[in-house]
Amino acid sequence: MAGLLVKGRFPRRHLIQVVASNVFRYLFGGAARSWFRNLGSAAPALSSMTLLLLLAGIVGLTGFALHNIEVVEAGQASLLHVYLRDDAPDAKVNALWDRLAADPRIATVTYTTRAEALARAQRLPGLPALTDATESNPFPASLDARVKSIDDVAAIHNDVRNDNTVDPAYPTSYDQGAYQRIQAVLLGVAVAGFAFLTLLGFVAVTVTINSIRAAIHSRRDEVTIMQLVGAPRWMVRGPFVIEGAITGALSGAVAGLIVFGLTLAAISAGAASFTQFAPGVNVPVAAFAAAIVFATGLGLGSGSSLVSLRKHLES
Amino acid sequence: MALTGRRPVSENTQCLIALDQAFPVYFVSCYVRPILELNAVTRAYGPRVALDDVSLALEPGELAFLVGPSGAGKTTMLKLINRELRPTSGEVWVDGIAAHTLKTSRVPDLRRRVAVVFQDYKLLPRLTAQENVAFALQVSDLRVSNEEASERALDALDAVGLGDRGESFPSQLSGGQQQRVALARAVVTQPPLLIADEPTGNLDIDTSWEMMDLFADIAASGTAVLIATHNVEIVKRFQRRVLTLVQGRLVRDQPAGRTGRMAWLASS
Repeated sequence: MAGLLVKGRFPRRHLIQVVASNVFRYLFGGAARSWFRNLGSAAPALSSMTLLLLLAGIVGLTGFALHNIEVVEAGQASLLHVYLRDDAPDAKVNALWDRLAADPRIATVTYTTRAEALARAQRLPGLPALTDATESNPFPASLDARVKSIDDVAAIHNDVRNDNTVDPAYPTSYDQGAYQRIQAVLLGVAVAGFAFLTLLGFVAVTVTINSIRAAIHSRRDEVTIMQLVGAPRWMVRGPFVIEGAITGALSGAVAGLIVFGLTLAAISAGAASFTQFAPGVNVPVAAFAAAIVFATGLGLGSGSSLVSLRKHLES
Repeated sequence: MALTGRRPVSENTQCLIALDQAFPVYFVSCYVRPILELNAVTRAYGPRVALDDVSLALEPGELAFLVGPSGAGKTTMLKLINRELRPTSGEVWVDGIAAHTLKTSRVPDLRRRVAVVFQDYKLLPRLTAQENVAFALQVSDLRVSNEEASERALDALDAVGLGDRGESFPSQLSGGQQQRVALARAVVTQPPLLIADEPTGNLDIDTSWEMMDLFADIAASGTAVLIATHNVEIVKRFQRRVLTLVQGRLVRDQPAGRTGRMAWLASS
């Protein structure tokens, strides 16, 4: 009987084409069919992973903006504005300027006129309304000293505060502990964000693992037959990995698009103030964040599938 | 005479090369492993020994029945052959492959040489009979084109008498027909060894005879066939080799043509 099966009339032509077609059909086609068939069990994974990735994208962009704010704050904290009395004679101002410039702890010293101080204030968030509300210019002229080490700012403040050219009421911009407070707040935000995302990530991965387990369960007969007839391991496992990758990629694409859209909307809604509240966040950065969100989804989906396969698919 | 070498010629053939120094002549002796060989195989599940020191060999074209009461170790033996299990001790050789030491990643190589037929057919309900057979062919060998898979699947179905039912789904076929499809799926890859676990368990007696005739045909074409069964009538009528397992031990190995007493029935 079996001898009848030996026909020997099938020359193996277009081998690469045939193998590629079979791989595509059984690996990708099988995964797609199974994904649609098990949409009910994949839906919770899809939604939880989308939520995770969306929040991760938003938290990531917020973190990036906060990091930039920290950099800006660090730069501002090392820039000591020495506010001058309105009636300070030029000679004394020049003398103080020379003294500061000669100080080895200071990198550079520049002079800011009252008009320049007003213009600078008008660029800060919230201050334009205040500056417009008053007829006169409330901002004093200043000597702006760029201090080499942020630790020396307090000492320089103490050196100049009693100088008779300096405003006695508000001698410098030095605010003790302000930078440290910002750092503490940023650290707190980062830790809380990381903990929240870790928790959400755990939930998303667990739900995805369960959805792949459901997929394995629904295809157990097919898997058994594939294993019995000697299908290679990658061919048995591959469709499930791809199924997880489809879930992850879809979640990543949706979340990435939302992150990108929200950022674009925020940028276009408040172009001027947005750059101050979220410095460095622009269209290319938003696109990059969306791409990272997509790639993370792809990786999370595939990785969760692999974990599920190791747990639930015995060879 | 001095032994000068031991060389593997192929996966299941090993040659010893010896030199007779009195007459300077080389002697070569080759040993061809049987398709299936179990050497002192023991398999235990915890403290319970399911298979105890079993040794046997099966040659190409041989059809043997594996009989014994429930729990005798028949299914365990089939699972060891198919490398669903590893033996606790001993060796399992299948077509030259050492199943007892086989890495998990190489199991598919062995499975492509061992066809399996089950009592419950294990057909995919969403596929037609022809697609079920073609599926097995293609997933075990990705070089098989759709056209080749379809034709070979139809040939296999034709060989089991179902050439006209290729488009039928399993639910549209009787139990006997489904088992024939399972048999066609098993032999379509032309494996050297076929194992069957109670293949007639769900079939009526007439259909069982037809199935057994097909197994005999397969054996006649050179495939070694090992059938685990409870069906005494079939074992008696076919007069083939009978391996009797009782409590995990191979208590009798009757050659073909002598059925003898079925002592195991008393404890079945």
